[in-house]
Amino acid sequence: MIDRQAANRVVAARLTHELVVTGLGNATFDLFQAGDRARNFYTWGSMGVAVSVGLGLALARPDDRVLVLEGDGAVLMGLSGLVSVGRFAPPNLAVIIWDNQRLGLTGGQESATAVNADLAAVVRDLGWAWSERVETLEAFRATLDRALTQPGPSLVVARVGQQAGSARPPRRPAALTYRFRRAIGSLAPEEQMAWE
Amino acid sequence: MHWAEIALAALKASGVDTLVYVPDIILHEILRRAETDSAVRLVPMPREEDGVGVVCGLYLGGRRAALLMQNSGLGNAANALASLAVPYEIPLLMLISQRGGLGEWNPVQVPMQLAARPLFDSLGIPHYTVTAPDDLDRVIRGAAKLAYDTGRGVAVILDSRLTGGNRG
Repeated sequence: MIDRQAANRVVAARLTHELVVTGLGNATFDLFQAGDRARNFYTWGSMGVAVSVGLGLALARPDDRVLVLEGDGAVLMGLSGLVSVGRFAPPNLAVIIWDNQRLGLTGGQESATAVNADLAAVVRDLGWAWSERVETLEAFRATLDRALTQPGPSLVVARVGQQAGSARPPRRPAALTYRFRRAIGSLAPEEQMAWE
Repeated sequence: MHWAEIALAALKASGVDTLVYVPDIILHEILRRAETDSAVRLVPMPREEDGVGVVCGLYLGGRRAALLMQNSGLGNAANALASLAVPYEIPLLMLISQRGGLGEWNPVQVPMQLAARPLFDSLGIPHYTVTAPDDLDRVIRGAAKLAYDTGRGVAVILDSRLTGGNRG
């Protein structure tokens, strides 16, 4: 099993120009703790929708690699998002699922990935380019590298433990929107303002 | 000019280049015209809240997309509207085809029609109902400007008096 904080530090250290979307809860908290950057877009809610946000971003920015970090519980809530990724199959989209087999923030209830849901197998039938399930940090490091360099859409299911981070991103969602769009050059002229 | 032609032209004039939609027989009038228009990309969605997510992602990436859906599916989008589009101040231009209004024959369409405006009101999303074609261009252009200039969700509700509804 993978230490999820260590895996997030691997992600943060590996990122260069990628555009990153995180799902609510620990996926958001852990990446913020491992390494905040303006090209990270943290969602605070809309459970199950982060993959669809990543899909829209990947369609809008075909020359950029888009990475979505999401928990198993949220992906199970928004399974239809996986269907649409397969339908449009953007080669620049990669999704990592932090699979702790629990709903971590609601009391640790068992999720369906602990019982019957093999998400890596599911997306193979939905038209994704490839998927892989990893259980060690070494395997995760290699698969992350592949996800950020090989054509997708790709899904990495990382079997992680229950190590929850304590950091939280700023509670200013609109500022997160502005910062992200500014960092990737998508602000409209009338939105531009001096910074520092 | 057919109302759907007016709607598509107004969307394009507002800089909208992508229509994210959940299929609907009324909106099909717009969609089938957009299919033959190389300036517009069509992105069908299986579920309304996914559509909110995709439009938000497109906006983050610098594109202008509109979300087209029936009012019956608005409830499916409520969480993504409330916890993503609204607090993140993402312009979300919505074209909502109305079922459950004048001339409706299906009883299950009525409750969500009645709930749609209170839902938008309670989320702070302005909404404008169009009943006649001569008002449509002005409302869509105005709604797009309101959305993009002020960072809000804005809904244009296409009344059955405009579209003819679904006659069953």
